[in-house]
Amino acid sequence: MVSHHTLSRRALLRGLGAASVAGGLSGLSLTTGCAPRNSGDSQPLGVPSFTAPPSGEIKIWDRSGDLFKVFDKAIATFTARYPRVKVDHMAVEINAKLPNTLITGADVPDGAFYDDALVPGIAPHLYDLTKLIEPYRADIAPYKLGVATVEGRVVAVPWDLDPGLLFYREDILQQAGVDPARIATYEDLLTAARTVKGKFPSSKPLHLEANEFLGQLWIDMFANQQGAAMVDAGGKLALNSPPYLRALQWLDRVRAEGLGTLAKYFEPTDVATLDNGTQVFVPWAQWFVFGPQQLLKETKGKWRATQLPAWQAGGARAGVMGGASFVIPAKAKNPQLAWLLYEHLTFHKDGYTAVYGPNDVYPGGLNTSVPSYLPALRSDAPLFKPVAELGGQDLWRVTTEAARQVPGGYTIPVWWGKAVDYFGVNVQRMLNGQIGPEQVLKESSDQIQKNLIDRK
Amino acid sequence: MAYPMAAPARRRRRRRVPLAPYLFIAPFLAIFIGFSVYPMGFALRLSFTNWRGAGALEVTGLANYRYLLTSPDFWGSLANSAVLWLLVVPVQVVLALALAVALMKARFRGVFIATLIAPFVTPLVAMAQVWIILFDQDFGAVNQALGMAGLPAVGWLTTTTWAKPTLALLVLWRTTGYAVILLLAGLQGIEPQVYEAARIDGANAWQQFWRITLPLMMRSVSFYVVIGTLTVFQLFAEPYVVTDGGPFNSTRTAGLYLYDHITNSDLGLGAANSFLLVVMVFALSLASIRLLRAREDA
Repeated sequence: MVSHHTLSRRALLRGLGAASVAGGLSGLSLTTGCAPRNSGDSQPLGVPSFTAPPSGEIKIWDRSGDLFKVFDKAIATFTARYPRVKVDHMAVEINAKLPNTLITGADVPDGAFYDDALVPGIAPHLYDLTKLIEPYRADIAPYKLGVATVEGRVVAVPWDLDPGLLFYREDILQQAGVDPARIATYEDLLTAARTVKGKFPSSKPLHLEANEFLGQLWIDMFANQQGAAMVDAGGKLALNSPPYLRALQWLDRVRAEGLGTLAKYFEPTDVATLDNGTQVFVPWAQWFVFGPQQLLKETKGKWRATQLPAWQAGGARAGVMGGASFVIPAKAKNPQLAWLLYEHLTFHKDGYTAVYGPNDVYPGGLNTSVPSYLPALRSDAPLFKPVAELGGQDLWRVTTEAARQVPGGYTIPVWWGKAVDYFGVNVQRMLNGQIGPEQVLKESSDQIQKNLIDRK
Repeated sequence: MAYPMAAPARRRRRRRVPLAPYLFIAPFLAIFIGFSVYPMGFALRLSFTNWRGAGALEVTGLANYRYLLTSPDFWGSLANSAVLWLLVVPVQVVLALALAVALMKARFRGVFIATLIAPFVTPLVAMAQVWIILFDQDFGAVNQALGMAGLPAVGWLTTTTWAKPTLALLVLWRTTGYAVILLLAGLQGIEPQVYEAARIDGANAWQQFWRITLPLMMRSVSFYVVIGTLTVFQLFAEPYVVTDGGPFNSTRTAGLYLYDHITNSDLGLGAANSFLLVVMVFALSLASIRLLRAREDA
């Protein structure tokens, strides 16, 4: 039966028009409603005060893969301690999903593992954890406390520290007569590379990073080693400065003398040249150890690690490259329970031991980074075992010695990731011989200032 | 006498429509308004602000548009997309048309179509990894083949000269099967009697193609050119996985540049970039259609 309710086309269109206008207006008000009402500053999270044993459910995001399995085991130690807390542990592509989730406010996790370099970009969406971190402040590596602090507020629970180390081929250095213990400065490293090339002319002994993002991260490690960062303590751009120039000039000499292999980290060319003796020295974060353990079939057991050389005699032998922390979104349903979990993992011995110590996933322990909580870095109580793929070397000793030397005062600006389009790209132009170090710093500084700082 | 009386009644009938059809389309309208019109309105509003996903919206007028229109990065990304368009769309149309014509007469057509469409339905990330390995400068199969022929190795993905053509080749390989299917559908719509009449008139195969097939396929080709244009200007996954926009931003497409704003929570700029892209892609599509229709009319 056809409805007897009819309306004129004009009336319908008029109605739709009115509805659209109303919809538009309500849309505008909704739009305003969508935008968080706060000014964009992090809200402080208070110290938890539970009158009864903590209880509830929290949703925690971690990266997929082996690390997820490791955290799964570690979370079990937390739930054993707090049996009334249920942890919904999820493997998520966090870097892609978290920023959007924080903006929309839908399905927000109570806590997430997140790259340090990206934390400042989402800081307005996170809880200010300053008060909660306060009791641990003196025991956290100064570098890590710096990167977890945005505009004076600690917005992340500082998790791991990724000290840079100098990885080298023990067998090749022996054949070339190079003593790694004598490589104390980058000048020494250049001399050692020349010696290796003299003995093995087809080699290009030093790794030069071809990935723009990793290249920038890598040079920031060299800068951090010299106590510098892209911005100074006041947040002012400090890229065009002696520490960066020193690092770039050194890399440019490596390139100009034909001593470097320009390759993207662990892509086919890199793996092949690491395995066939073309590359002999790799100054890189501790997580390079993943290569000898998983990727480098021919040279497994032939790599060793030592501290980075210093930029000047007597200078720091360590800098940091990468790292991650735990963040608690301002829209989390159970932020205090999330804090309890992260406090357990980061600052309690059974928590961090469950992550770094031997387990089903990593029988020798997780050895790609170390905790940023300094009391965990005891030389007499190593968390992971000597690494067979490094010829049984005690990597714990090497890396904890480096970790203690990492200079603090490092800040990651909000625009760090976007700066790759300028600084990261210009560094690659230099490594391809197109421009010089001074031009890299001048052009990059101008571009960053214009496109990322001045544009508000 | 009855005629003048009937007219107003008919006018009334024309002016009044039943409510039911509108109720039937109401669910679609609600979804359309909720998930298309409203987000577009919101995005348009965002494009006039510097909102970064938190805090109050601060209106900055045309600042985002001014910034983009004077930014070498924005124009560079458009130029990269335009070059990719030139490398992909014209080649693909010719290739797909030739394959579609060949398939019309081929035996085991289904097998060929399945083979052609396979790259389109294969997960892109897996294919991109294959591309990275194949075109590796030092250890890739392509350069090894060149080496066996006595030719020097080429930096397929590491030089600004070759990165775009290599990426275009991936896009061609992945999407040409889809183009063939679309054009094949167009070819099947041409009445066989037209060819029969042409044959009776003495037209050879080449003349039939030029005089019948091509003119009658112009609408399908126009449609595919629009689809191809949209594909290339939204191209994201291929450069993201294979080159990450490098070397030196030479494969940073319009889609990838837009993504950069989103990942940096620069949502106002991202929204402005989206609207500029919409206008430009619309203009480009319209120009392509006009050009092809003009040829059809001629």
